[in-house]
Amino acid sequence: MSEPKEAALLSKMASEVFAGMIAPALENAPLIQAAEDDVLAKEDVLVRMERELKRALEKSPAERRWVMVIDLRRCIGCHACTIGCVAENKLPPGVVYRPVLTEEIGKYPHVAYRFLPKPCLQCENAPCTPVCPVNATYTNEEGVIVVDYDQCIGCRACISACPYASRTFDFGVNYTDKTVDRLTMVLGSSEAGKYETAGTAFEYGERRERQQHHSPIGNVRKCHFCLHRIKVGILPACTTTCIGRATYFGDANDPDALVSELIAKPNVMRLKEELGTEPRVYYLL
Amino acid sequence: MIKKLAYLVGGLTLLFGLWGFYDRFAYGHQNANYGSYVVWGLWVAMYLFFAGVAAGGFMVSTLDLLFGVKIFKGTGRIALWGSLVCLVAALISIGLDNGHLFRIWKVYLQGNPFSLLFQMVWGYTLFGAISVVALVLASRQPNNPWLKPVMAVGLVVSFFISGAVGALLGVNASRPFWHVGLFPVQFPVFSLASGVAMLLTALAFFGREDDENRPQQLWILSLTSVILLIVKLYFMWADYSQSMYGNVPMNVQAVRQVLFGEYWWAFWILQLLIGSLIPLVFLIQRKFATHNHWAGWMGILMLVGYAVARGLIIFPALTVPELEALVHAFSGPHLTFHYFPSLMEWAVTSGTIGIAILGFLFGSEKLNLFSNTPKEA
Ligand code: SF4
Ligand code: SF4
Repeated sequence: MSEPKEAALLSKMASEVFAGMIAPALENAPLIQAAEDDVLAKEDVLVRMERELKRALEKSPAERRWVMVIDLRRCIGCHACTIGCVAENKLPPGVVYRPVLTEEIGKYPHVAYRFLPKPCLQCENAPCTPVCPVNATYTNEEGVIVVDYDQCIGCRACISACPYASRTFDFGVNYTDKTVDRLTMVLGSSEAGKYETAGTAFEYGERRERQQHHSPIGNVRKCHFCLHRIKVGILPACTTTCIGRATYFGDANDPDALVSELIAKPNVMRLKEELGTEPRVYYLL
Repeated sequence: MIKKLAYLVGGLTLLFGLWGFYDRFAYGHQNANYGSYVVWGLWVAMYLFFAGVAAGGFMVSTLDLLFGVKIFKGTGRIALWGSLVCLVAALISIGLDNGHLFRIWKVYLQGNPFSLLFQMVWGYTLFGAISVVALVLASRQPNNPWLKPVMAVGLVVSFFISGAVGALLGVNASRPFWHVGLFPVQFPVFSLASGVAMLLTALAFFGREDDENRPQQLWILSLTSVILLIVKLYFMWADYSQSMYGNVPMNVQAVRQVLFGEYWWAFWILQLLIGSLIPLVFLIQRKFATHNHWAGWMGILMLVGYAVARGLIIFPALTVPELEALVHAFSGPHLTFHYFPSLMEWAVTSGTIGIAILGFLFGSEKLNLFSNTPKEA
């Protein structure tokens, strides 16, 4: 099969699979229009954003303004971003940085799903930071709200202060806890658990073994826009795993950046604007 | 008899608590039922309760040790000791609630002075130090000229620490149920109410039989308790009715949760019936109010009601999702908007109560608190 044909088939299949879920929103939209164009000849937005990311990294950190834009019309509710984030940051059970809020709206026969991926909104006027008694959570010089795991005492005041439920507490639970254990077998909580506890995540550029009573267990955790990836010129995990290309990331101080274009659209909104938190995550409706 | 019963209750609750303390230290927070949504649970509620009794206990101790009210002569040290014991219980509760208890030193050395929690930690430290100094002075040198200034400063600090708890919740604009401007004003009143109930219980159960002032003390404390109880109920009515009339969804949902939701029984049965109505009916009658056992038990009922009230301030606000669809967005342990304390949480709280009861009993015997003539050093 030649490449354009393959693309057309994929596009058609994708349209049929997802059309049922998002049909009402896309009524009259040219769903298979893309197949007629040479889609592979177009530059993927990821490529553009990677290029813009590198450009932003040439500036000093304080000159950048990282923002995320999420196009709700393109989100198909696949949760790939959630799982991409879990894998990237090796999140234990009960800790989540980017859930996708799913709501069924309307009444039969006019029923649809609405999806809202929700990372930490990296509020410019963050209510979660001033409550911290030990300055463990703060806005770093690039405008991202971070948590210093070795400083955090785990009081959870920041969780209660966040109006978006963007923080979770690491209770020290592992996926392999209470699973069957056979000493002679490779599988089992003690053997398989080694993978879970090994220091193979690189959040904040740190490598931490997962041990009871040691950070990040007993700490509050949250999305940090994958700072460790950004630092080396790679987009956040949720952005690259989004199969609908619904998530965009970049430097809003760069007027030519894709995100700058998107947040200047009239259909842009932010969550709970009335609170004055000034989120750096924008939604396109 | 009642003392033996108190020792027994203290011993048993502590025994159950030892298992809870073991579980908490061995497995951290894993076996707790609070989570990332209902982020503060039983221990925070008990912290508010004990801290309230501590601040209130200090406030009532000033009747004797600062203002020299004759009828309360000799009660100051009892109230102070009760206050100190409750302060320790409050700190155990909140300490164990923290993810990294042993990093608490960071609040002193690397703290953020603008955080209310920071200010409270410093406030409690100062309050604890003042209480110890006051108790030592009141026990060993009751005529020491420093006693009154120390008590005066302590009184201000006790208002500060109880007001700060109200402010900690009140400033939280993300939770409309807590975002009540009057909270910092209400909390010192709640504290005073629980301090009075604590002293009423202590004097009724353990006061000296031959103290001629005792009936009058019990009567005054009972009436004061009733008045404070009514003020507290009025505050609650004001908060709830404003929320309902205001009709802000998150607020209304939280109030409904208390009145008709998963905590209805705690509100109607424990807080209103057992913790308010029954004590109110008995304590306005002199014969019950001055009867040692009746007054003592009514004091206990009021304390139970105040503890439940703390829980009903904390949990309902947190059981309302910040965004509705969060409920099903991601599942996992500790990600639920329902909350009922786990056995481990109850055990830890039981142990903390045991420590408070036994601490109070031992201390009152060792310090000879129930004699109203402290020795001059
Ligand atoms: S979304 Fe929540 S955690 Fe993130 S910056 Fe805003 S207040 Fe803080
Ligand atoms: S949980 Fe940690 S980061 Fe959050 S307020 Fe407490 S100390 Fe600060």
